[in-house]
Amino acid sequence: MVMLIGCDNSSLVIDKLSDEAGEGDAAVMCFYFDFAARNEQSPVNMLGSLLRQFVSGLKMIPEVIVQDFQKQKTGTGGRGLQVSGIMKMFQGITTTKRTFICVDALDECVPEHRMTILESLRQILQGSPNTRLFMTGRPQVRSEVERRLDGAAAFISIQPTEDGVIRYLYDKLRKDTTPEIMSSTLEAEIMRTIPEMNSETYVEASAREKLP
Amino acid sequence: MRLYHGPRFPQSPAIALTNLKLTNTFLLSSKAVESKKMSQVFSNNNNSFIIANTFNYSALDDESKILAWLSPLEPWVRHRDIGAERVDGIGAWLLETEEFRRWHSAPTEDESNHATLFCDGNPGVGKSYIM
Repeated sequence: MVMLIGCDNSSLVIDKLSDEAGEGDAAVMCFYFDFAARNEQSPVNMLGSLLRQFVSGLKMIPEVIVQDFQKQKTGTGGRGLQVSGIMKMFQGITTTKRTFICVDALDECVPEHRMTILESLRQILQGSPNTRLFMTGRPQVRSEVERRLDGAAAFISIQPTEDGVIRYLYDKLRKDTTPEIMSSTLEAEIMRTIPEMNSETYVEASAREKLP
Repeated sequence: MRLYHGPRFPQSPAIALTNLKLTNTFLLSSKAVESKKMSQVFSNNNNSFIIANTFNYSALDDESKILAWLSPLEPWVRHRDIGAERVDGIGAWLLETEEFRRWHSAPTEDESNHATLFCDGNPGVGKSYIM
């Protein structure tokens, strides 16, 4: 069963995992950190979001969650949820499913939250050998990931490939809303010079593109 | 779309059983609301929705409340937006790497078969788009 929610568009890793999950019994969950949303993306909300996606794919909401929900209803105010409660619920669900957790932009999670989240993810992985964690982030958080996950991580460095840049440029030119002001000379120059730039320059070029 | 014109409440064990089945159908589909687009689910389940809406609204309501209680965040919205912008084929090399294959394969006793794969890269290299 695939349980990634509302995801019918193109992605790479998540698509691959979801396609395979569709053939067997597996679950895929995702989370995107965004510095602008740092206040809402607290550890309890982030881990709760993973649990929510997991539960959404089950036939029934597990009893442990229903019970905790009923208990907090009788409490006074607030959601009454804490990281420890979320982790207890995670541990209370036994599943033989292969589970994939995908987390984007770990560097955009504030450091205090990141520490708690990585520790919680470590516990989830430890308690569930069928769970796999895929994360992306800037190089500066790499050592923290290594440390917090007890060295149980493999690393890949993402760099733009020439083929990728060319595909991207073709796509942008194809979707150009003002093609009448593009000359074949300029197009050829774009296709020649931009693939030679390094990644930092792409960002600068992209930022300039957005200026009025 | 076939509307339900029967009694508002079960009148006999047979009707009660029918309604129980229909309600169960909806309870299953209510999870699919989270798994698929709501419009698709509703368009495929009009009958079960209407009937369940009459007889067992509270079960659905509770389920939605429980899910919302777990987290108010909706990361699938961001996933959808990124997917809409992504250019097909870029980054496909990642899936062919030894690191990805090992990470993706079934768990083994081999300690070098890591449970976590971390992809690092500078701003603008397209990390979000490979996910």
